[in-house]
Formats: sequence, structure tokens, C-alpha cells
Amino acid sequence: MPITKTSWLNSYSTFQGYDEMYTSQNTVRPYWQKLLTGFDRLGVDGLMGRQKDIDWLLSENGVTYNVYNDPKGMHRPWNLNVVPFLLHQDEWKTVETGLKQRAELLNLVLKDVYGERTLIKNGIVPHEVIYGHRGFLRQCSGIEYTTRKFLSIYAADLARGTDGRLWVVNDRTEAPSGMGYALENRSTTSRILPEMYTEMNVTRLSGFFQELNQTLVEASPIKKENPNIVILTPGSHNETYFEHAYLSSFLGYPLVQGNDLVVRDGFLWMKSLQGLKQIDVVLRRVDDAFSDPLELREDSHLGVAGLLDVVRRKNVSIINPIGSGVMENPGLIPFMPNIAKYFLNQDLILPQIASWWCGQKKEKQYVLENLSKLVIKRIDRTNRESIHFGEFLNPEELDALKRNIEQRPYRFVAQERISFSTAPNFIKDSLEPRNLVTRAFCIASQNDYSIMPGGLVRVAPGRETIRVSNQRGGTSKDFWILEDQPINEAKIGLWQKRPSIAASGLEDLPSLTAENLYWAGRYVGRTLVNARFIRMVMRQLSMIQNPNEEPNSEKLKTLLKTTTHLMGTYPGFAEKAEKGPQAMENPYKEILSVIKDKDRVGSLAHTIGMFSNSYYTIRNLWSSDMWRVFEDIQKLWKSFQDEEQPSMNRILKVLNQLITRLIAFMGLVEESIMIQQGLLLYFIGLQLEQSMLTIVKCRSLLTIKYDAHTEYDLLEYLLISNESLNIYRYSYRSYIQLEDVLNLVALDLDYPRSLAYMLNRLQKDIARLPQSNHNNHLNSYQKFVFEAFAKLSLAEAATLSQTGTEDHFVRESLDTLMEELSDLLHQTSQSITSTYFNHTDKQNQLFTQSFPI
Amino acid sequence: MLFNITHTTKYQYNAPVSYGHNIATLRPRKSKGQELLDYTIEISPEPAEISERIDFFGNYITRFSIQTEHEVLKVTTKSQIKREYAQFQEGFFSDACKSVTMKSALESLQSTNLDILDAKQYILESIFIKKMDAGIHEYARKSFQSNRSVFDAAFELMQRIYTDFDFVSGFTSISTPIREVMEEKKGVCQDFAQIAIACIRSVGLPAKYISGYIETLPPPGEEKLVGADASHAWFSIFIPGFGWVDFDPTNNQIPRDQHIVVGWGRDYYDVPPLKGVVYGSGQSKLKVAVDIARIE
Repeated sequence: MPITKTSWLNSYSTFQGYDEMYTSQNTVRPYWQKLLTGFDRLGVDGLMGRQKDIDWLLSENGVTYNVYNDPKGMHRPWNLNVVPFLLHQDEWKTVETGLKQRAELLNLVLKDVYGERTLIKNGIVPHEVIYGHRGFLRQCSGIEYTTRKFLSIYAADLARGTDGRLWVVNDRTEAPSGMGYALENRSTTSRILPEMYTEMNVTRLSGFFQELNQTLVEASPIKKENPNIVILTPGSHNETYFEHAYLSSFLGYPLVQGNDLVVRDGFLWMKSLQGLKQIDVVLRRVDDAFSDPLELREDSHLGVAGLLDVVRRKNVSIINPIGSGVMENPGLIPFMPNIAKYFLNQDLILPQIASWWCGQKKEKQYVLENLSKLVIKRIDRTNRESIHFGEFLNPEELDALKRNIEQRPYRFVAQERISFSTAPNFIKDSLEPRNLVTRAFCIASQNDYSIMPGGLVRVAPGRETIRVSNQRGGTSKDFWILEDQPINEAKIGLWQKRPSIAASGLEDLPSLTAENLYWAGRYVGRTLVNARFIRMVMRQLSMIQNPNEEPNSEKLKTLLKTTTHLMGTYPGFAEKAEKGPQAMENPYKEILSVIKDKDRVGSLAHTIGMFSNSYYTIRNLWSSDMWRVFEDIQKLWKSFQDEEQPSMNRILKVLNQLITRLIAFMGLVEESIMIQQGLLLYFIGLQLEQSMLTIVKCRSLLTIKYDAHTEYDLLEYLLISNESLNIYRYSYRSYIQLEDVLNLVALDLDYPRSLAYMLNRLQKDIARLPQSNHNNHLNSYQKFVFEAFAKLSLAEAATLSQTGTEDHFVRESLDTLMEELSDLLHQTSQSITSTYFNHTDKQNQLFTQSFPI
Repeated sequence: MLFNITHTTKYQYNAPVSYGHNIATLRPRKSKGQELLDYTIEISPEPAEISERIDFFGNYITRFSIQTEHEVLKVTTKSQIKREYAQFQEGFFSDACKSVTMKSALESLQSTNLDILDAKQYILESIFIKKMDAGIHEYARKSFQSNRSVFDAAFELMQRIYTDFDFVSGFTSISTPIREVMEEKKGVCQDFAQIAIACIRSVGLPAKYISGYIETLPPPGEEKLVGADASHAWFSIFIPGFGWVDFDPTNNQIPRDQHIVVGWGRDYYDVPPLKGVVYGSGQSKLKVAVDIARIE
């Protein structure tokens, strides 16, 4: 049954203040009506379906954010409500003008406080508002910039005040976040609500991002067609890391961390596989104080030592400039009207929240007397922990706050507590009003600022919540600016990606990315090989005897010892434990530990953790299919981790699922990432790891000669764990014997799971690395692999199968060969690491000197 | 008085350092009664690049990078200084200076004339002198009272620190919080200077940190040893209507000609003689030698 349009609003009670949907005459605004009519066509079920589609799409694309200081806070799914926030173009035009004015004002203030400081000298702004703000970095004073504006990117949090106008609530200038999420919200919502998106003439975002790109290109201190631009991220633990990776792949600029960059000869360089590459522009998402451990916070490992001086010499542009955090300063709000007069001789266009800066006597008095009605903030800490809502404080807390204000009044600002407007949010099966805040984005473009037609809308989680922040589990919305005329698609034009260094080849791959890919390959290989081996061991255990008892056969003991050698989980089965019961006495317990104990280095759980970490750090290279399979692996493993005492069958089932998903994942990696993007490094890591583990298995299972029955079983185990039993039967059609097994598993050049094949492939892959074959000489890692491959090629299965004499029980030539190969591969790994991932030089502060007097 | 000052800083690393970036605040600035006549800086190994600038506070900052692998970093500066500061000594004890009371000082600080404005930034908290605890304020209030002369109060504060605190080297480092120094009453010159600054700021007056050298005189009849002189630190208080007056709480005196100014800031953080970030895996051992020779 179709639902009438009124039913959307039956339960919609605008219990407080202003609601976006209604006019002052309490009628629904025409454009909201249009949206509701669209929803009518879908019906409640239809709309619920669309919300589900959104949730699915976001999780498919791995859209996440992180919450600091919360162990469960990593990679939380991003929430997007199906109901967009609507604003008519006519109203937006005024807001746009106001935003441009405010961006320009803050730009001028920024320039002034790091330059002439006339605002302070002329008494327009009290000196404490600037000098008492921890974001005022004296090191940045006097720096001249080559960019058109000091402030290249500005974001403002807007909310509708009691007078029905949009007010500025917060200024974001240091490294404003949210642009990428806004873009992602748009791309999702426009796909999920295509009818309404087209019908309602929604202004497009693409033009804004073209301008952003242009701003970055033009920021280059030396004008070039294709300056080298990078995005500097604090890393995958940052709250908005998803966005950094998203912008990196959207704009086509490499995502780098401080470690990827270095200052030499007065320039900034990126460490790439090829060597150093000079960088012209940095889009910075690392906080001001952390950007340069030489001049700013000395304990920072997120920045680049010496960066500030490169800026000073005008050899690189940082967007926004280091030091711009001082503009995130509610202490400025009361002075903004006078600043506007002083610089532009204008009135402020956008209203601001009434604010009292406590550095002034009268204002402080007012604040102290009305504390319980106000919202108190520090001028230089606008995170939620430092915001006090007077009405929620008990008398002791109010007193403590008063004392704090009295002690250093200049650090505090009090603001009026106002209730912002609400807009409909789709919750379960109906529309409910929720408070919201919009983040608008401005970028410096030709002589002016350009405003994103839209923004990131964040919605309070509950009816009663005033604090709107994603960190508190709220949701977000797409933001539609509506035009009266249909959007002319032709005018929008195609997003022309310039060739950038991201696309120009393996040589320019940041070395940290390369290293992460290499380790991703190694860990995925290790997880797969170990999972297969454990699966085989468990099958044998459960077939033969009670797994809680000490095994009585040599073959099982050997198998268990091999598990320990393979995973490196000593003492385990291989060595005597110094105290406590021996692992051999209860194999189930030890096996469970090497599977599930994530704090035990080498365990499967630990390896999966390392694998996950290395993949998160190369997030920008992923496809959405990869993300889905990866999530499946995480979910499978997480639910398994929570089980206590899982049965043998349950473990086998989980291992089977894990192995299948890993193989799917590996297949996707190969087709989603290009060799130039670094897939080569992944392959090198993978082949190297698998080769090393094959060597361990051969050494541990085959070098000791046992009686014929045991030998037979061990050979079979090796073949099973290598997934090679069928191939063996097909190739040799015979009783399993050592010589043939060695031929297949170690020496066969055509069989992809054989050691010889893998070393041969490794040899070819590493030859493609940028520094290989330099001046017709093999690089050292090439020599190691070459030597390993040659040694293996010269070996013969018959010789390797021999023991020294008849009564000797060690196959010495096999053991020696495997030991040599193992050493050579370890040296290969070390050599690759020192050649390409040279992060071994730790950044150290010189000890600051102490005074003898 | 003319001085030749040689200041050598040597870092010895126990493992090779591949490269490093450094910042030095070693070139003495011009200050009241003091002029720099000659200055050289010698760095080994040879830096790949070196530049100099003037910082927010007007100090000379030398920045250099070393890009060759090295195990020893040695920085030697030679400064020739003309110091004629003792002549101002009488002025400090004059009425113009001594008659300014706390009360009138605090009133004068409300003004927005440029000198006052510049001085006022030294009332705010700084990197090393952050939240003042009650102990500091209490200690300060014993000397600073509303109707008392600011100069007398500061003089007394200097004397009290000299008497109450023990000079113990090695007990504190630059990262020792003020509070701990206050509790233990032990430290070195930079701690004493910072304690005094914290006290003065806690009563609402501007104080700054001065980094420099002090010439030590040998006991009567003995030869002066080369390298026996030292880096030093003291504080300066702003007396509105008069100006900045220096005090050395470590030696319980108002500096004369034996104190040589290198630079100043809000606290030690603003004027470390040498700091840097090096890339390598080892630790370093530091040796500093200062020699101040009078040229009569």
C-alpha cells in the first residue's frame, strides 16, 4: 500500500526550536516536500532498503574512521544517513559570501600574527589571544610564503542559530579534515538516491576538487607544469586515515609518512625505490607541532627534521602552512567584528556564537557569574575533553573551573549555549529530528576563495545530545545545495587527472609503501603456509590418538617439532621448556596456543595481526573487493578468537575457511594492484617467505633418516602441507619415495610450488628492481639469490637422499644445502631492506646540554 | 672590558651518524652595554650547508646540516666581546628604579605602549615554565608585596634562592619540572633562573631567561685554568617605567662585566646553545669547554 506523504511527518515532533524542514509558518519547505515525495515513491520499506544499501556500500568500500585511546576504536565503520541535508542555492549564496569573507579575514590575521603583528600593536587583538595560544609557533614568525594566500584551506563548522541564520561555530585551519568524507558521502548518496539526486538539481562537487588540485599545483614554489605533490599522513592510526588514503587515490598523489621524507641540501625529498625525489608541495595532515622535530616538538616521529627551514628558504610549500593552528582560536571570536573593520572596513557577514574572552575584566566577571549557563572552552584546545558545559557541572566542578579561570583567565572563552536546528534523520523506520552541524570547506583559488557547494554534515546520535561529533558515534549526511535549473552535466567537464608521480612507475614508489608491500607479501605467505601446516598436523593428531596426550610415535613427534621450527614458537615442541609442563605432554594445548595466542610472537594470530597492519598501511592501493574479503578474514578470525576451548573439528573448519579466503585475497591482490604500484615488492616478499618456509619444512622433516614406515608418513605430510600430494601422484604414479619428493618439492623448475621454481621467479623479479644490474653488475641481493639458485640447480636428488654411511642417520648433504639456502635467503632479505627501505637510521635528539654552573 | 671567548661543544657518538640537522644559539647578541666585535664558528665535519637568521626574540640562530658520516661533531665559536655593563650598576639602586612598587607596576602594565606590550609576553606561561603551582606562588609572595619596591623584591628573591637552594650538578636535567626543583631545592643555574622566572610570573610581572657565559676568577695568587669558565644562565625582570634588570641567583649578584649575554627568551627552551636531530643508532657523549680570556 502506498504511503501518503503526511505519514512521514506523523511521528515527527519538532520538540525544540528550529527545524530545517519547516518554514516559520510551520509549513514544509517546497524542496523538502519534493524529497518527501520522492521518499513516498519508495515507501518505508523502500527507504529502509536504501539505507541498508548505503551501509553495505560503505562497508564494501571500507569507509572507516578511528577513535583514539580506544582499543576497539580502530577502523570503525562510517555512518551515513540516507536523508540528505538540503539547502536552497539562494540561502547558500549568502553563506558563500560570508565564508569567503571569513576565510580572507583569517588569512589576513594569520599573515599579520606571523608578520608585522599590527593587530596586537594597534590593540585590535589582545596579545594574550595570540601569544597565550599554544598554536602560536614563534619559530614560524617572519616566514614568507610563495602561495597566494597564507591560508590555503579553511573549514568552518556551521549551525543554524535561534535567529534562523547559519552561524559559525568553529574555525578549522590547521589541517582541516572532512573533505574526503564529504566526497565519499556524495558518491554514495548519489548512487543510492539517483532519482532524487537528478530531479532536485543538486550542485556538483567535482568543480571544487578540480580547483583544489589546481591550488596544490600552483602552490609549487617554482612554477612547473607537474610539480611533485605528496599527502603527508601521521599514519594508519590517525582518526581520519581513511580520508588521507582516499584523497591520495582520488587526487593521484602519493600518500607518505614523515619517515618517507628527508631534508637535504635545503630541499625536501621523498625516499623512493629509485632514490631521492624532490618534493614541491605537501598537503599536510600532520599537526603543526609535530611537523618538524628539529624546531618544533622534539619527540615527534611524524614529521621531517628540518622541514620548517625548507619552507623558510621557499623550497617547498606546505598546505596549510605550519603554524596555522593558532587560528583555531575561539579567543578571536569576540574580536572578529573589529578585525573585519580593521582589514576590510566591512561588517561580518556570518554571525558567530556570542563569546566572552576571560582575559578582559568585565567579560571575566560576567562569565564567572553566569558559569552554569555557559559553555567554557580553552582558546587553544577545542577538542571535546576541554569543553565544559556549565549546566552539567556540579558545584565542586564549577568551583574548580572558576579557580582555573581566575588563575589564567586569558586561556578561557565562554560561549552562549544555544540549541541548533534539527533536520530529519531516518532511524529504523521513521524520520526523527536530530541536531546537526555542517562543515564547509574553502580553498584559495585565483585571487579569491572557492567554496565547496556542500560539505560534511554531522548529526547528533540521540535526541538529547547537543554535542555533535563523529567521535561520539553520531552519523553523517550528504549535503545538497539545490538549484532551480537542471544541472548542465556538459559544463562540469571530466576530471582530468594530470600525470603525477604516483602513476609514473616503480622508481618513484615511496620506500615506506614499498616496504609495507614487501611485508604484506611476506605475512600473507607466512599465514597461508602456517595455516596449511597446522591444518595437516591437526588432522593427523585427531586421526591417530587423543590430542591431550603425549604422542607415542616418532612421526607425530617430528611433525610437532616441525610446527615449532616453522612458526618459530620456541621452546614449543622442539626444545625443553625451562619450567612448567612440556608442550609434548599436551599437544592440543600448545597447538591451540600457537594458533590463538595473539601475544605470542610467531603464532598464527600474531601473524594475522601483522598481516592486517601491513595491509592497513597500504590502504590507498586497495580495491573494494579486496576490502570485502579482508573484512571476511577479520570477522572470521575475531569470532574464533573469542571462543574458548574450540573443538578439533571447529579449528579445522576455521582453518579451512581462513585458507580459502586467503587464497581469494591473494588472487585479488594480484589483479588489483599494478606492478608499477609496487606489486613487484609484494611478489618478492611472498616468494621469499614461501621459499624460506619450504626450506624449514624440508630440513625438519627430511634430514633425519627414520624407519621406512615413518619416512613414508613424513613424506606424505610434507606433500599434503604443500598441497602437492595429487600432483605427486599424477607425476610419479608411484609409492612415495624421498628422491621423487625432493625432485618435486625442491628441484622441479616447472612446478610453481617447488623451491627451484620460486627461487627462479624471485631471481627474475628482483632483477626488475630499480637498483638491480647497475652498470652490468649484480646487486648484492641478486648475488645471494643467484648463488642460492645455482646451488639448488646443481644438487641431485639421489645425492641429497644419501646419509654419510649406511648406519648414519643424518642426510648431511641435504642438511648442508638447506642450511646454505636458508642463510642466503636471509641475507637477501637484509640486503633488500638496506638497499630500499632504509629506515634503519633512527632519528635521535642530540642530548641537550646541561649547565656546569 | 674586552673578552675573547672560545666555546667548544663536542658530541662523540658510539656509532656512526649518517647525517644530522642542527640549530645553534651561540652567536652573542648585542645587548645593553655589550657589543660583539668579532665572531667565527667552526664546525667539523664541514657542514653541507649553513645559514643564519634572527629569531622571534632577536637572537642569532645558526642552522647547519652535516651530510657526511661522522662519529664526532665539534662546534667551536670564537667571540670577541666588548662588555661595559658595570656602569649601569648604580642606576639599579637609584630611586627611578627602586621606587616602582608592585602595585604601580601592575597598573603600568595595563598600558598598550609598545615597550610594555613587548614585555608583557614574558608574563605568559612558556614551554618549560607552565602551570604554576601554589608552592611557587607562595614562595614568590614572601618577597613580592603590593606596596613594596619591585626591585627590592626581586633582589630579595635572588638572595633567597641563593640561600635556600643547593647547587648540585647532575641532579636535574633540562626536563626536570620546576615543581620538582622547588620541592628538592637543588639544581643548577638554569633551574634557579627558571624558578625565579616562575615566581615573578606568578605575581603577574614579566621575567625572561638569559643565556650566556660567566668568567670565573681564580683564587688569589693562582693561575687561571683554561676551560674553567662556563656557560651560564640568569634571569631578568621588567620594571615598568625603568626597564629590564638582570639578577644572577646562582651567584647572588646583579651581573656586571663578568656576565656575557648570548641570547634570551621565555625560558631555556627558546635559547638552547646547540640542539639537533641526528640519524644513526647510537648514543652520544657530550663535552663542553668554555674559555674566557680578558684582553686588558
